[in-house]
Amino acid sequence: MSHVDEGTLHAYLDGELPSSERVAVDAHLMQCVTCKALLAEERALLERSTALLASARPVERPVPPFEQVRRAHKRRPWYVSTPLAWAASIVLALGLGYYLREPGTDREVAGLFDQRAAPVAEEAKTQAASPARQTQQPRANVERAAEVAQANENAGIDSVGRIGAPASSGVVAMQPRVQLRGAAPAPPLADSIRLRDSGLRLSEVVIDGAPAPAERDRAALGTPSARRDESRSVRNVVSTTWPIISRGKAASLLGDRPVGVPGLATRTIRRSPGPDSTVVVEQALDSATVIQIFQRPAAARSADSAGYPVDGYRMAREAAPAAAPASTDRLARFVGKLRVEISGPVSADSLNRLLEQVEPLP
Amino acid sequence: MPDDIAEVYRNTYPALVRFLYRKVWDAERAEDLAQEAFARALVHRPDNTRGWLFVVAANMARDEARKAAREKRHLTLLKSEPDATEIAPEDEIDADTRTQRVRAALEHLTPRDREALLLWDSGLSYDEIAAQTGLARGAIGTTLARARRRLVEAYDAGQEGGQHVARG
Repeated sequence: MSHVDEGTLHAYLDGELPSSERVAVDAHLMQCVTCKALLAEERALLERSTALLASARPVERPVPPFEQVRRAHKRRPWYVSTPLAWAASIVLALGLGYYLREPGTDREVAGLFDQRAAPVAEEAKTQAASPARQTQQPRANVERAAEVAQANENAGIDSVGRIGAPASSGVVAMQPRVQLRGAAPAPPLADSIRLRDSGLRLSEVVIDGAPAPAERDRAALGTPSARRDESRSVRNVVSTTWPIISRGKAASLLGDRPVGVPGLATRTIRRSPGPDSTVVVEQALDSATVIQIFQRPAAARSADSAGYPVDGYRMAREAAPAAAPASTDRLARFVGKLRVEISGPVSADSLNRLLEQVEPLP
Repeated sequence: MPDDIAEVYRNTYPALVRFLYRKVWDAERAEDLAQEAFARALVHRPDNTRGWLFVVAANMARDEARKAAREKRHLTLLKSEPDATEIAPEDEIDADTRTQRVRAALEHLTPRDREALLLWDSGLSYDEIAAQTGLARGAIGTTLARARRRLVEAYDAGQEGGQHVARG
Protein backbone atom coordinates (compact mmCIF):
# COMPACT_ATOMS: atom_id res chain seq x y z
CA MET A 1 0.00 0.00 0.00
CA SER A 2 1.16 3.53 -0.74
CA HIS A 3 1.75 6.07 1.99
CA VAL A 4 -1.18 6.98 4.18
CA ASP A 5 -2.58 10.50 3.69
CA GLU A 6 -3.14 12.74 6.69
CA GLY A 7 -6.91 12.56 6.45
CA THR A 8 -6.78 8.81 6.83
CA LEU A 9 -4.32 9.15 9.67
CA HIS A 10 -6.69 11.49 11.50
CA ALA A 11 -9.57 9.13 10.95
CA TYR A 12 -7.28 6.34 12.18
CA LEU A 13 -6.38 8.33 15.28
CA ASP A 14 -10.03 9.27 15.83
CA GLY A 15 -10.95 5.59 15.71
CA GLU A 16 -13.30 6.27 12.79
CA LEU A 17 -11.67 4.14 10.09
CA PRO A 18 -13.71 1.15 8.97
CA SER A 19 -12.11 -2.01 10.35
CA SER A 20 -10.89 -3.24 6.94
CA GLU A 21 -9.05 0.04 6.30
CA ARG A 22 -7.75 0.06 9.80
CA VAL A 23 -6.08 -3.32 9.32
CA ALA A 24 -4.44 -2.12 6.13
CA VAL A 25 -3.15 1.06 7.77
CA ASP A 26 -1.79 -0.90 10.71
CA ALA A 27 0.08 -3.18 8.33
CA HIS A 28 1.54 -0.26 6.41
CA LEU A 29 2.66 1.59 9.54
CA MET A 30 4.56 -1.50 10.67
CA GLN A 31 6.85 -1.21 7.70
CA CYS A 32 6.84 2.50 6.71
CA VAL A 33 9.03 4.77 8.81
CA THR A 34 7.85 7.88 6.97
CA CYS A 35 4.22 7.19 7.74
CA LYS A 36 5.04 6.28 11.30
CA ALA A 37 6.76 9.66 11.76
CA LEU A 38 3.83 11.37 10.09
CA LEU A 39 1.46 9.55 12.41
CA ALA A 40 3.37 10.86 15.44
CA GLU A 41 3.22 14.35 13.98
CA GLU A 42 -0.49 14.17 13.36
CA ARG A 43 -1.10 12.75 16.81
CA ALA A 44 0.76 15.70 18.36
CA LEU A 45 -1.27 18.11 16.22
CA LEU A 46 -4.49 16.42 17.21
CA GLU A 47 -3.61 16.51 20.90
CA ARG A 48 -2.58 20.12 20.71
CA SER A 49 -5.72 21.10 18.91
CA THR A 50 -7.85 19.21 21.39
CA ALA A 51 -6.05 20.91 24.27
CA LEU A 52 -6.57 24.32 22.72
CA LEU A 53 -10.27 23.68 22.30
CA ALA A 54 -10.43 22.38 25.85
CA SER A 55 -9.04 25.66 27.10
CA ALA A 56 -11.87 27.49 25.35
CA ARG A 57 -14.76 25.93 27.16
CA PRO A 58 -17.38 27.35 29.45
CA VAL A 59 -17.09 26.84 33.16
CA GLU A 60 -18.58 23.43 33.79
CA ARG A 61 -21.80 23.75 35.71
CA PRO A 62 -24.07 21.01 36.93
CA VAL A 63 -26.60 19.94 34.34
CA PRO A 64 -29.95 21.41 35.31
CA PRO A 65 -32.62 18.78 35.92
CA PHE A 66 -34.43 17.74 32.79
CA GLU A 67 -37.70 18.54 34.55
CA GLN A 68 -36.71 22.18 34.36
CA VAL A 69 -36.50 22.05 30.58
CA ARG A 70 -39.75 20.13 30.41
CA ARG A 71 -41.53 22.63 32.62
CA ALA A 72 -40.14 25.58 30.71
CA HIS A 73 -41.32 23.92 27.54
CA LYS A 74 -44.81 23.48 28.92
CA ARG A 75 -44.92 27.00 30.22
CA ARG A 76 -43.86 28.58 26.98
CA PRO A 77 -43.94 26.38 23.91
CA TRP A 78 -41.64 28.15 21.50
CA TYR A 79 -43.65 27.23 18.43
CA VAL A 80 -46.77 28.81 19.85
CA SER A 81 -45.37 31.76 21.69
CA THR A 82 -43.89 33.67 18.80
CA PRO A 83 -46.82 33.66 16.41
CA LEU A 84 -49.25 34.27 19.27
CA ALA A 85 -47.22 37.19 20.49
CA TRP A 86 -47.31 38.65 17.02
CA ALA A 87 -51.00 38.09 16.68
CA ALA A 88 -51.63 39.60 20.09
CA SER A 89 -49.58 42.67 19.22
CA ILE A 90 -51.46 43.19 16.00
CA VAL A 91 -54.83 42.76 17.64
CA LEU A 92 -53.83 45.13 20.40
CA ALA A 93 -52.59 47.72 17.93
CA LEU A 94 -55.76 47.53 15.85
CA GLY A 95 -57.91 47.67 18.92
CA LEU A 96 -56.09 50.66 20.32
CA GLY A 97 -56.18 52.43 17.01
CA TYR A 98 -59.89 51.93 16.74
CA TYR A 99 -60.46 52.92 20.32
CA LEU A 100 -58.37 56.07 20.09
CA ARG A 101 -59.86 57.13 16.80
CA GLU A 102 -63.12 58.09 18.45
CA PRO A 103 -65.71 56.60 20.79
CA GLY A 104 -67.08 53.62 18.96
CA THR A 105 -70.74 54.26 19.67
CA ASP A 106 -70.73 57.68 18.15
CA ARG A 107 -70.75 56.58 14.56
CA GLU A 108 -73.57 54.19 15.18
CA VAL A 109 -75.63 56.80 16.91
CA ALA A 110 -74.86 59.35 14.24
CA GLY A 111 -75.97 56.90 11.59
CA LEU A 112 -79.11 56.10 13.53
CA PHE A 113 -79.81 59.72 13.93
CA ASP A 114 -79.34 60.53 10.29
CA GLN A 115 -81.94 57.99 9.34
CA ARG A 116 -84.45 59.31 11.77
CA ALA A 117 -83.73 62.96 11.24
CA ALA A 118 -84.32 62.95 7.52
CA PRO A 119 -88.09 62.38 7.55
CA VAL A 120 -88.46 64.72 10.48
CA ALA A 121 -86.72 67.40 8.53
CA GLU A 122 -89.07 66.87 5.63
CA GLU A 123 -92.08 67.24 7.84
CA ALA A 124 -90.66 70.24 9.50
CA LYS A 125 -90.22 71.96 6.18
CA THR A 126 -93.79 71.23 5.28
CA GLN A 127 -94.93 72.61 8.56
CA ALA A 128 -92.98 75.73 8.04
CA ALA A 129 -94.87 76.22 4.78
CA SER A 130 -98.32 75.61 6.28
CA PRO A 131 -98.55 76.63 9.91
CA ALA A 132 -102.04 75.19 10.20
CA ARG A 133 -100.68 71.67 10.16
CA GLN A 134 -98.49 72.34 13.10
CA THR A 135 -101.23 71.51 15.56
CA GLN A 136 -101.82 68.08 14.04
CA GLN A 137 -98.25 66.97 13.86
CA PRO A 138 -96.47 67.72 17.10
CA ARG A 139 -97.37 64.45 18.79
CA ALA A 140 -95.63 62.32 16.23
CA ASN A 141 -92.64 64.57 16.17
CA VAL A 142 -92.33 64.54 19.90
CA GLU A 143 -92.34 60.79 19.79
CA ARG A 144 -89.67 60.66 17.14
CA ALA A 145 -87.56 63.20 18.88
CA ALA A 146 -87.97 61.23 22.07
CA GLU A 147 -86.70 58.15 20.28
CA VAL A 148 -83.71 60.04 19.06
CA ALA A 149 -83.12 61.43 22.51
CA GLN A 150 -83.41 57.94 23.91
CA ALA A 151 -80.92 56.63 21.40
CA ASN A 152 -78.48 59.31 22.29
CA GLU A 153 -78.99 58.85 25.97
CA ASN A 154 -78.38 55.16 25.59
CA ALA A 155 -75.05 55.98 24.04
CA GLY A 156 -74.21 58.25 26.90
CA ILE A 157 -74.49 61.40 24.89
CA ASP A 158 -76.34 64.19 26.53
CA SER A 159 -77.42 66.49 23.77
CA VAL A 160 -80.93 66.25 22.52
CA GLY A 161 -81.93 65.06 25.94
CA ARG A 162 -82.35 68.65 26.93
CA ILE A 163 -84.95 69.37 24.33
CA GLY A 164 -87.50 70.48 26.86
CA ALA A 165 -85.38 73.20 28.40
CA PRO A 166 -86.47 76.64 27.19
CA ALA A 167 -82.94 77.81 26.75
CA SER A 168 -81.91 74.98 24.49
CA SER A 169 -85.00 74.98 22.42
CA GLY A 170 -84.68 78.70 22.10
CA VAL A 171 -81.21 78.34 20.77
CA VAL A 172 -82.06 75.73 18.29
CA ALA A 173 -85.20 77.49 17.26
CA MET A 174 -83.19 80.05 15.41
CA GLN A 175 -81.16 77.44 13.61
CA PRO A 176 -83.31 76.27 10.74
CA ARG A 177 -83.82 79.65 9.29
CA VAL A 178 -80.21 80.62 9.13
CA GLN A 179 -78.96 77.16 8.39
CA LEU A 180 -81.14 76.54 5.41
CA ARG A 181 -80.49 79.92 4.04
CA GLY A 182 -76.80 79.66 4.59
CA ALA A 183 -76.64 76.22 3.08
CA ALA A 184 -76.90 77.21 -0.54
CA PRO A 185 -73.48 78.82 -1.09
CA ALA A 186 -71.64 76.37 1.11
CA PRO A 187 -69.38 73.66 -0.34
CA PRO A 188 -71.20 70.40 -1.18
CA LEU A 189 -69.91 68.37 1.74
CA ALA A 190 -70.46 71.03 4.35
CA ASP A 191 -73.84 71.60 2.74
CA SER A 192 -75.08 68.13 3.40
CA ILE A 193 -73.80 68.25 6.94
CA ARG A 194 -75.65 71.42 7.69
CA LEU A 195 -78.86 70.13 6.20
CA ARG A 196 -78.70 67.13 8.44
CA ASP A 197 -78.06 69.39 11.38
CA SER A 198 -81.04 71.44 10.54
CA GLY A 199 -83.13 68.31 10.54
CA LEU A 200 -82.44 67.92 14.23
CA ARG A 201 -83.13 71.50 15.03
CA LEU A 202 -86.36 71.64 13.07
CA SER A 203 -87.74 68.76 15.00
CA GLU A 204 -86.91 70.55 18.18
CA VAL A 205 -88.72 73.63 16.98
CA VAL A 206 -91.83 71.59 16.45
CA ILE A 207 -91.68 70.14 19.92
CA ASP A 208 -91.27 73.48 21.49
CA GLY A 209 -93.37 75.73 19.36
CA ALA A 210 -91.94 78.71 21.21
CA PRO A 211 -90.25 81.65 19.58
CA ALA A 212 -86.52 81.97 19.96
CA PRO A 213 -85.58 83.94 23.03
CA ALA A 214 -83.46 86.95 22.44
CA GLU A 215 -79.71 86.74 22.71
CA ARG A 216 -79.60 88.43 26.09
CA ASP A 217 -82.18 86.03 27.57
CA ARG A 218 -79.94 83.14 26.78
CA ALA A 219 -76.98 84.88 28.24
CA ALA A 220 -79.01 85.51 31.38
CA LEU A 221 -79.71 81.81 31.70
CA GLY A 222 -76.26 81.00 32.85
CA THR A 223 -77.02 77.39 33.73
CA PRO A 224 -74.66 74.70 32.58
CA SER A 225 -77.18 73.22 30.22
CA ALA A 226 -77.86 76.56 28.64
CA ARG A 227 -74.17 77.23 28.27
CA ARG A 228 -73.60 73.87 26.77
CA ASP A 229 -76.30 74.20 24.18
CA GLU A 230 -75.25 77.68 23.44
CA SER A 231 -71.74 76.72 22.58
CA ARG A 232 -72.98 73.85 20.47
CA SER A 233 -75.48 75.86 18.50
CA VAL A 234 -73.19 78.81 18.13
CA ARG A 235 -70.70 76.50 16.52
CA ASN A 236 -73.18 75.45 13.93
CA VAL A 237 -74.31 78.85 12.86
CA VAL A 238 -70.88 80.34 12.95
CA SER A 239 -70.67 80.96 9.25
CA THR A 240 -73.84 82.96 9.16
CA THR A 241 -74.20 84.69 12.48
CA TRP A 242 -70.68 85.21 13.74
CA PRO A 243 -69.59 88.71 12.75
CA ILE A 244 -66.48 88.99 10.63
CA ILE A 245 -63.76 90.89 12.41
CA SER A 246 -60.31 92.14 11.58
CA ARG A 247 -57.17 90.36 12.61
CA GLY A 248 -56.35 93.20 14.99
CA LYS A 249 -59.74 92.94 16.64
CA ALA A 250 -59.25 89.20 17.02
CA ALA A 251 -55.89 89.77 18.64
CA SER A 252 -57.37 92.21 21.13
CA LEU A 253 -60.21 89.81 21.95
CA LEU A 254 -57.85 86.89 22.44
CA GLY A 255 -55.11 88.88 24.11
CA ASP A 256 -52.75 87.21 21.67
CA ARG A 257 -52.30 86.73 17.95
CA PRO A 258 -54.98 84.49 16.44
CA VAL A 259 -53.71 81.08 15.42
CA GLY A 260 -54.13 79.03 12.29
CA VAL A 261 -52.48 76.45 10.09
CA PRO A 262 -49.50 78.05 8.39
CA GLY A 263 -49.63 77.98 4.63
CA LEU A 264 -53.42 77.82 4.38
CA ALA A 265 -55.33 80.77 3.05
CA THR A 266 -57.28 82.48 5.80
CA ARG A 267 -60.74 83.18 4.49
CA THR A 268 -62.35 84.97 7.37
CA ILE A 269 -61.90 85.68 11.04
CA ARG A 270 -65.10 85.87 13.03
CA ARG A 271 -66.01 86.46 16.61
CA SER A 272 -68.62 84.78 18.70
CA PRO A 273 -71.89 86.69 18.86
CA GLY A 274 -72.04 85.80 22.57
CA PRO A 275 -70.31 87.43 25.46
CA ASP A 276 -67.26 85.19 25.39
CA SER A 277 -64.03 86.02 23.57
CA THR A 278 -64.16 83.11 21.18
CA VAL A 279 -62.79 83.74 17.72
CA VAL A 280 -62.90 81.42 14.74
CA VAL A 281 -60.38 81.50 11.96
CA GLU A 282 -61.71 79.91 8.80
CA GLN A 283 -59.09 78.56 6.46
CA ALA A 284 -59.48 76.91 3.07
CA LEU A 285 -57.95 73.47 2.55
CA ASP A 286 -59.13 73.66 -1.04
CA SER A 287 -61.87 75.41 -2.96
CA ALA A 288 -64.57 73.18 -1.46
CA THR A 289 -63.24 72.52 2.03
CA VAL A 290 -63.03 74.97 4.86
CA ILE A 291 -61.74 74.18 8.30
CA GLN A 292 -62.64 76.24 11.34
CA ILE A 293 -60.14 76.92 14.07
CA PHE A 294 -61.91 78.00 17.22
CA GLN A 295 -59.81 79.75 19.80
CA ARG A 296 -60.20 81.62 23.01
CA PRO A 297 -58.07 82.64 25.94
CA ALA A 298 -57.50 79.54 28.00
CA ALA A 299 -57.69 81.46 31.25
CA ALA A 300 -61.05 83.08 30.51
CA ARG A 301 -62.77 79.75 30.46
CA SER A 302 -61.85 78.66 33.91
CA ALA A 303 -62.75 82.11 35.24
CA ASP A 304 -66.29 82.24 33.95
CA SER A 305 -67.22 78.59 34.13
CA ALA A 306 -67.51 79.04 37.90
CA GLY A 307 -66.47 75.61 38.89
CA TYR A 308 -68.49 73.84 36.26
CA PRO A 309 -65.99 71.18 35.42
CA VAL A 310 -66.82 70.55 31.83
CA ASP A 311 -65.72 73.11 29.36
CA GLY A 312 -68.40 74.20 26.97
CA TYR A 313 -66.22 73.31 24.04
CA ARG A 314 -65.61 69.87 25.31
CA MET A 315 -69.31 69.47 25.60
CA ALA A 316 -69.66 70.71 22.10
CA ARG A 317 -67.30 68.00 21.02
CA GLU A 318 -69.13 65.35 22.90
CA ALA A 319 -72.41 66.47 21.46
CA ALA A 320 -70.99 66.70 18.00
CA PRO A 321 -71.59 63.10 16.92
CA ALA A 322 -75.28 63.51 17.59
CA ALA A 323 -75.57 66.90 15.99
CA ALA A 324 -73.26 66.31 13.09
CA PRO A 325 -71.67 63.39 11.28
CA ALA A 326 -68.40 62.04 12.53
CA SER A 327 -66.54 63.84 9.79
CA THR A 328 -66.88 67.07 11.73
CA ASP A 329 -65.13 65.79 14.83
CA ARG A 330 -63.52 68.48 16.86
CA LEU A 331 -60.17 68.13 18.51
CA ALA A 332 -58.60 70.52 20.94
CA ARG A 333 -55.22 71.60 22.21
CA PHE A 334 -53.57 74.58 23.79
CA VAL A 335 -51.41 76.90 21.72
CA GLY A 336 -49.67 79.42 23.90
CA LYS A 337 -52.35 81.05 25.99
CA LEU A 338 -55.16 79.98 23.70
CA ARG A 339 -57.36 76.97 23.81
CA VAL A 340 -57.75 75.89 20.22
CA GLU A 341 -60.25 73.55 18.63
CA ILE A 342 -60.43 72.48 15.07
CA SER A 343 -63.41 71.43 13.03
CA GLY A 344 -64.00 70.62 9.44
CA PRO A 345 -65.39 68.08 6.96
CA VAL A 346 -62.24 65.94 6.87
CA SER A 347 -61.18 62.86 8.81
CA ALA A 348 -60.32 63.05 12.49
CA ASP A 349 -56.81 62.02 11.51
CA SER A 350 -56.41 64.93 9.15
CA LEU A 351 -57.90 67.32 11.68
CA ASN A 352 -55.48 66.07 14.26
CA ARG A 353 -52.55 66.63 11.93
CA LEU A 354 -53.78 70.09 11.06
CA LEU A 355 -54.27 70.90 14.72
CA GLU A 356 -50.69 69.85 15.37
CA GLN A 357 -49.50 72.49 12.91
CA VAL A 358 -51.52 75.33 14.35
CA GLU A 359 -49.43 78.30 15.37
CA PRO A 360 -49.87 82.08 15.68
CA LEU A 361 -50.68 83.59 12.31
CA PRO A 362 -48.05 85.99 10.99
CA MET B 1 -40.19 9.25 23.52
CA PRO B 2 -39.66 11.77 26.29
CA ASP B 3 -37.63 9.26 28.31
CA ASP B 4 -35.21 8.93 25.45
CA ILE B 5 -34.84 12.67 25.27
CA ALA B 6 -34.17 12.73 29.01
CA GLU B 7 -31.42 10.22 28.47
CA VAL B 8 -29.95 12.17 25.58
CA TYR B 9 -30.21 15.25 27.72
CA ARG B 10 -28.06 13.76 30.47
CA ASN B 11 -25.45 12.55 28.00
CA THR B 12 -25.42 15.42 25.56
CA TYR B 13 -26.29 18.59 27.43
CA PRO B 14 -22.71 19.48 28.48
CA ALA B 15 -21.40 18.86 24.97
CA LEU B 16 -24.17 20.91 23.45
CA VAL B 17 -23.42 23.78 25.81
CA ARG B 18 -19.75 23.56 24.91
CA PHE B 19 -20.56 23.49 21.20
CA LEU B 20 -22.80 26.53 21.57
CA TYR B 21 -20.33 28.34 23.77
CA ARG B 22 -17.72 28.18 21.03
CA LYS B 23 -20.19 29.86 18.74
CA VAL B 24 -21.75 32.50 20.93
CA TRP B 25 -18.89 32.87 23.43
CA ASP B 26 -21.23 33.49 26.31
CA ALA B 27 -21.68 30.65 28.80
CA GLU B 28 -25.12 31.66 30.01
CA ARG B 29 -26.41 32.26 26.54
CA ALA B 30 -25.02 28.90 25.50
CA GLU B 31 -26.92 27.20 28.33
CA ASP B 32 -30.12 29.03 27.45
CA LEU B 33 -29.83 28.01 23.83
CA ALA B 34 -29.04 24.41 24.77
CA GLN B 35 -32.15 24.20 26.92
CA GLU B 36 -34.17 25.81 24.19
CA ALA B 37 -32.89 23.17 21.78
CA PHE B 38 -34.00 20.41 24.14
CA ALA B 39 -37.35 22.08 24.60
CA ARG B 40 -37.79 22.03 20.85
CA ALA B 41 -36.78 18.40 20.76
CA LEU B 42 -39.63 17.66 23.16
CA VAL B 43 -42.01 19.10 20.60
CA HIS B 44 -40.49 17.63 17.46
CA ARG B 45 -39.50 14.19 18.79
CA PRO B 46 -36.84 13.73 16.11
CA ASP B 47 -35.63 10.24 15.23
CA ASN B 48 -31.98 11.05 15.81
CA THR B 49 -32.27 13.33 18.79
CA ARG B 50 -28.58 14.00 19.29
CA GLY B 51 -27.84 14.86 15.69
CA TRP B 52 -31.01 16.89 15.48
CA LEU B 53 -30.04 18.86 18.57
CA PHE B 54 -26.74 19.92 17.06
CA VAL B 55 -28.38 20.97 13.84
CA VAL B 56 -30.88 23.08 15.74
CA ALA B 57 -28.16 24.45 18.02
CA ALA B 58 -25.99 25.39 15.04
CA ASN B 59 -28.94 27.22 13.50
CA MET B 60 -29.71 29.05 16.71
CA ALA B 61 -26.07 30.03 17.08
CA ARG B 62 -26.03 31.30 13.51
CA ASP B 63 -29.08 33.43 14.24
CA GLU B 64 -27.35 34.73 17.32
CA ALA B 65 -24.26 35.60 15.34
CA ARG B 66 -26.32 37.43 12.74
CA LYS B 67 -28.01 39.37 15.47
CA ALA B 68 -24.68 40.19 17.04
CA ALA B 69 -23.30 41.28 13.70
CA ARG B 70 -26.26 43.53 13.24
CA GLU B 71 -25.59 45.14 16.55
CA LYS B 72 -21.93 45.57 15.61
CA ARG B 73 -20.93 43.96 18.88
CA HIS B 74 -19.28 41.15 17.01
CA LEU B 75 -16.92 43.38 15.07
CA THR B 76 -15.95 45.42 18.08
CA LEU B 77 -15.04 42.34 20.06
CA LEU B 78 -12.92 40.88 17.29
CA LYS B 79 -11.09 44.13 16.77
CA SER B 80 -10.18 44.43 20.40
CA GLU B 81 -8.77 40.93 20.69
CA PRO B 82 -5.22 41.27 19.32
CA ASP B 83 -4.45 44.15 21.65
CA ALA B 84 -5.62 42.20 24.62
CA THR B 85 -3.75 39.02 23.79
CA GLU B 86 -0.41 39.88 22.30
CA ILE B 87 1.64 40.84 25.29
CA ALA B 88 1.66 38.08 27.91
CA PRO B 89 3.66 34.89 27.28
CA GLU B 90 1.87 31.57 27.04
CA ASP B 91 2.50 30.36 30.58
CA GLU B 92 1.32 33.57 32.23
CA ILE B 93 -1.94 34.21 30.49
CA ASP B 94 -5.16 33.57 32.31
CA ALA B 95 -7.99 31.40 31.15
CA ASP B 96 -9.97 34.28 29.70
CA THR B 97 -7.10 35.40 27.55
CA ARG B 98 -6.50 31.87 26.34
CA THR B 99 -10.15 31.57 25.46
CA GLN B 100 -9.96 34.80 23.52
CA ARG B 101 -6.95 33.53 21.61
CA VAL B 102 -8.58 30.24 20.75
CA ARG B 103 -11.63 32.12 19.66
CA ALA B 104 -9.56 34.34 17.41
CA ALA B 105 -7.74 31.29 16.02
CA LEU B 106 -11.05 29.55 15.28
CA GLU B 107 -12.05 32.56 13.23
CA HIS B 108 -9.27 31.64 10.83
CA LEU B 109 -10.91 28.37 9.90
CA THR B 110 -13.39 28.13 7.10
CA PRO B 111 -16.93 27.78 8.44
CA ARG B 112 -17.16 24.18 7.28
CA ASP B 113 -13.81 23.17 8.83
CA ARG B 114 -14.72 24.93 12.05
CA GLU B 115 -18.10 23.26 12.17
CA ALA B 116 -16.60 19.80 11.67
CA LEU B 117 -13.99 20.40 14.35
CA LEU B 118 -16.48 21.71 16.91
CA LEU B 119 -18.89 18.87 16.21
CA TRP B 120 -16.13 16.31 16.63
CA ASP B 121 -15.04 17.94 19.83
CA SER B 122 -18.64 17.79 21.05
CA GLY B 123 -18.59 14.02 20.65
CA LEU B 124 -20.27 13.52 17.32
CA SER B 125 -19.13 10.64 15.14
CA TYR B 126 -17.87 10.99 11.58
CA ASP B 127 -21.22 9.73 10.38
CA GLU B 128 -23.06 12.35 12.37
CA ILE B 129 -20.72 15.09 11.24
CA ALA B 130 -21.16 13.98 7.63
CA ALA B 131 -24.92 14.04 8.02
CA GLN B 132 -24.89 17.48 9.55
CA THR B 133 -22.33 19.22 7.35
CA GLY B 134 -23.16 17.55 4.09
CA LEU B 135 -19.59 16.37 3.67
CA ALA B 136 -18.83 12.86 2.45
CA ARG B 137 -17.94 10.60 5.29
CA GLY B 138 -14.60 9.85 3.66
CA ALA B 139 -13.75 13.55 3.63
CA ILE B 140 -14.23 14.09 7.36
CA GLY B 141 -10.72 12.91 8.30
CA THR B 142 -9.14 15.28 5.79
CA THR B 143 -11.37 18.11 6.92
CA LEU B 144 -10.50 17.56 10.55
CA ALA B 145 -6.75 17.30 9.76
CA ARG B 146 -6.91 20.65 7.98
CA ALA B 147 -8.99 22.24 10.72
CA ARG B 148 -6.67 21.10 13.48
CA ARG B 149 -3.56 22.25 11.69
CA ARG B 150 -5.12 25.62 10.92
CA LEU B 151 -6.24 26.08 14.49
CA VAL B 152 -2.83 25.35 15.96
CA GLU B 153 -1.04 27.47 13.39
CA ALA B 154 -3.37 30.40 13.84
CA TYR B 155 -3.12 30.16 17.58
CA ASP B 156 0.68 30.10 17.53
CA ALA B 157 0.82 32.90 14.97
CA GLY B 158 -1.53 34.97 17.11
CA GLN B 159 0.68 34.43 20.10
CA GLU B 160 3.86 35.37 18.31
CA GLY B 161 2.75 38.15 16.08
CA GLY B 162 -0.50 39.46 17.45
CA GLN B 163 -1.92 41.44 14.57
CA HIS B 164 0.40 39.86 12.02
CA VAL B 165 -1.81 36.84 11.76
CA ALA B 166 -2.83 36.34 8.18
CA ARG B 167 -6.57 36.00 8.04
CA GLY B 168 -8.55 33.68 5.77
